[in-house]
Amino acid sequence: MSLASTCPTEQAEIEALLSRLTIQLEQEALDLPLLPVVATQVLQISGDPNADVTKLSALIQQDQALAGQILRIANSPAYAARSPIVSLQQSIAWLGMNILASLAFTVSVQSGVFKVKGYEKEIQALWRQALATGLYGKEIARRNRHNVENAFLCGILHTIGKPLIIHLILQNTDKESPQLSWTMIDTIIQELSILAGGKLAEAWQLPEPVQEAIRFYPDETYHQATSPTKGAIITCLADHLASAVVDPSSLDEAAICALPVVQDLNFYPEDMDALFELKETIQQSVESFLT
Amino acid sequence: MTSSSSYDLIVIGSGPAGQKAAIQGAKAGKHVALIEQTREVGGACVYQGTIPSKTLRETALKMVQFLHATDVFDFRMRDDLKIASLMTRLDKVVRAHGEFMAEQISRNGIDRFHGRAQFQSDREIKVQGLDGKPTMLSAPLLVIATGSRPRVPDNIPIDHENILDSDSILSLVYLPKSLTVLGGGVIASEYASIFALLGVQVTMIDTADRPLKFMDKELTDQFCEAFEKTGGSYRGQQKIQSAQWDGFSKVITQLGNGETFESEKMLVALGRVANIEHLNVQAAGLTPTARGLVSVNDHCQTTVNHIYAVGDVIGPPSLASCSMEQGRRAVCHALKLDSGDVPEHIPMGIYTIPEMSSVGLSEQEAIDQYGGALVGRANFQEIARGQISGMTNGLLKMIVDTNGEKLLGVHIVGEGATELIHIGQMGLLHNIHIDRFVENIFNFPTLAETYRVAALDIAKQRKK
Repeated sequence: MSLASTCPTEQAEIEALLSRLTIQLEQEALDLPLLPVVATQVLQISGDPNADVTKLSALIQQDQALAGQILRIANSPAYAARSPIVSLQQSIAWLGMNILASLAFTVSVQSGVFKVKGYEKEIQALWRQALATGLYGKEIARRNRHNVENAFLCGILHTIGKPLIIHLILQNTDKESPQLSWTMIDTIIQELSILAGGKLAEAWQLPEPVQEAIRFYPDETYHQATSPTKGAIITCLADHLASAVVDPSSLDEAAICALPVVQDLNFYPEDMDALFELKETIQQSVESFLT
Repeated sequence: MTSSSSYDLIVIGSGPAGQKAAIQGAKAGKHVALIEQTREVGGACVYQGTIPSKTLRETALKMVQFLHATDVFDFRMRDDLKIASLMTRLDKVVRAHGEFMAEQISRNGIDRFHGRAQFQSDREIKVQGLDGKPTMLSAPLLVIATGSRPRVPDNIPIDHENILDSDSILSLVYLPKSLTVLGGGVIASEYASIFALLGVQVTMIDTADRPLKFMDKELTDQFCEAFEKTGGSYRGQQKIQSAQWDGFSKVITQLGNGETFESEKMLVALGRVANIEHLNVQAAGLTPTARGLVSVNDHCQTTVNHIYAVGDVIGPPSLASCSMEQGRRAVCHALKLDSGDVPEHIPMGIYTIPEMSSVGLSEQEAIDQYGGALVGRANFQEIARGQISGMTNGLLKMIVDTNGEKLLGVHIVGEGATELIHIGQMGLLHNIHIDRFVENIFNFPTLAETYRVAALDIAKQRKK
């Protein structure tokens, strides 16, 4: 969306907001949302070589809403067990430490950051895209015979700057004024979400490869990433594939195959076909997080 | 209409074997095409094999030396920094080596094609690019050098997350607490010893009674001793019934005898398979062997006279050093150029911790061929250089004929073994008398002195 396509009043308002937010972001004069406590603790437990599942289980049990969501996801078709999951302990045993940690982290981040009153539908779409990117990221890494562990986290957090921008816009506008159009907000998101995401990732002290993926995942910049985990390039392609999961009508296989990122990952047509075939499975998994 | 180009020589694969074949062709004035299916040249050797594992090993050794110097430096390294440092250095070395190889190819005027090669006939190749578009190439001479990749056993679900192969282990994001290594060959032993040194609890499981069964037993005994000192363990003569992620927190390995092992991660290193599935070799009149290899004669010539095959795609020894020589010699043979004498004594280097290397005959082979053998030994810790470097293990074995005069083989375990072996290799090539090792002067203090000590040990036996 270009500024030229908005009316002069809106354009002036967008430019004023853009300018104010850019200054705030660059000067780090922002009140950034804190990483939800549970997510922080999940990250700590995941990164602790001596941590075991009992610590994670205890943490989840402290948060009733989180425990409920974990139970629901464990019972969803994507993770369906042979018999219904009826207890948290059972869901922990069924899902396993790594999935559980990922779920706890994502659910916690979703409830902490991906919630903005008045824009629920748009935020839900962003969240859906992020989840699909995380799930596709794992499959891309696997296809590349690369370790898949980092790809999910990079994917679900790569657009963390987008909901943050919405938060910041609302902070910077008069509560009495009419709600801003999504077109206006989206224009500012396109301009500033990468910068905002980078700042938030730094403030949250996310793992370095994840910070790098957030900063460099777009097509124009993934080649600037240096981490051997390849989070940025993997997330770049995952984001394109995820768009087709969120909006199946937008899928243009030929256009995706022609992207430079496909060439840079050295994916041949048969590799891409295999990834396209996963669309429904990914879609099902995304729904299991959201329904 | 598909574009088509003619060349004097087409080489498929740009690993050590393919690269040397292409360069040899170019140096002979031929118009050469080099086809590579990955973006970068260098093959698995540069990106998943030789260079990465050796770099990891070197970095791990340096890091551990640094961590042990706590009486000088008061610090502690975070675990996440440990793996990040390892991988970042690895990435830098790999990139540098890849760039160097690409430059060498371009300097020699070789045309590079990025895509998958597929035989259309015994002289025509279709190169399918990433965009799916084909390019047709033809030549009167072709070299297959497509290398190999890790074998995926039917009963082990490698997911590159919990159960890894030797490619995906190179992109670990943290050091696991424990690692089960399936296999007892070179790749298994190298990675097992590197991760054990880094503090990971490593268990190697294999059917053989000892790792690296083709190496001298005294060498592998010292390797096992050092491996166990770092907390590793080797479980030999075991059949693997199954190995799988429990879907929860660990990989469970069930052995044939009913025993089970648990670990956070697993590395499956049960051999490699040749990359020939996309080649359509049948169109060229070739039939792969039962093991999926391309069979060749002593000149690396296939059953179709003008098609050669070199490197991992023809099977053992699968050493980068041998592959390079195979590539060079194959093209020399095809172009009727003098390739020099056939290498008689090819050294084998294994980058375990400690290193192992050997050249020439083993003790048993010497006994079989010469009706007996004398063995001279030198322990590294008896040598001044060994003491200075704090080496607690290390051994050089010289195998000689029963007269104690003719050198037949050298076997070394200990740091620097892969470099030190070349003195023995030169001795073998020039048939030098054992006494030459005693009569000549080596730098002092160096590990080269082990040759003198071992030769003296032999001389002592000879006098009896």
